[in-house]
Amino acid sequence: MTALLTIVCLLLGAALMLTAAIGVVRLPDVLCRSHAVAKALTLGIFLLLMALWLQLEDPRQGLKIILAIFFQVLTIPVSSHLIGLVSRREPREVDGSGANRDEKG
Amino acid sequence: MIAAVIQIVFFLLFVCVLLGLYRLARGPSVLDRVLAFDLITTCVVGMIILLSIQWQTTLFLELILVFALLGFMTTVAFVIHLRQTRQRPSPPAGAQTSQTEV
Repeated sequence: MTALLTIVCLLLGAALMLTAAIGVVRLPDVLCRSHAVAKALTLGIFLLLMALWLQLEDPRQGLKIILAIFFQVLTIPVSSHLIGLVSRREPREVDGSGANRDEKG
Repeated sequence: MIAAVIQIVFFLLFVCVLLGLYRLARGPSVLDRVLAFDLITTCVVGMIILLSIQWQTTLFLELILVFALLGFMTTVAFVIHLRQTRQRPSPPAGAQTSQTEV
């Protein structure tokens, strides 16, 4: 049962991180990319850390994993929020590589 | 069973690092590169997690903490540096007040 739960957590986490990477490559500008990183990457690394917690034989080591989850969940959205704050001040450089974006005007 | 899943997940994270390197090489602005570097750091943390699942060890938990905080610190340092270098060449009229606002 634990092994099955671990496998589900690992696969979901890796799929979410791959989603974040594809979003970073495909989305048109900085704000959209920081959106992809902030949400998908946070949940992906959270699921991978939960899988590691399920596989440990000593449950007391889970305190460090709680600390790691806390830091990751705190720092990834904060860093992409900072990037969004800086990118607000400058004109957007749209890199339209395949992404269809409706530009009005 | 878990070993095969770990191989697959390792491959997926490797693809993530390659996509991040593509954006790091191609990104039009510096902020894209900082964002891609954040993605690569988090993927490396995921690889450390996979290795410590495979080897059944708890030695690398401190390494996970160090990598997470280092990635955050590099992003914050880059953002502060960019903000300072973009304000310096053309200081507005009320430079003292405008630097304190965010």
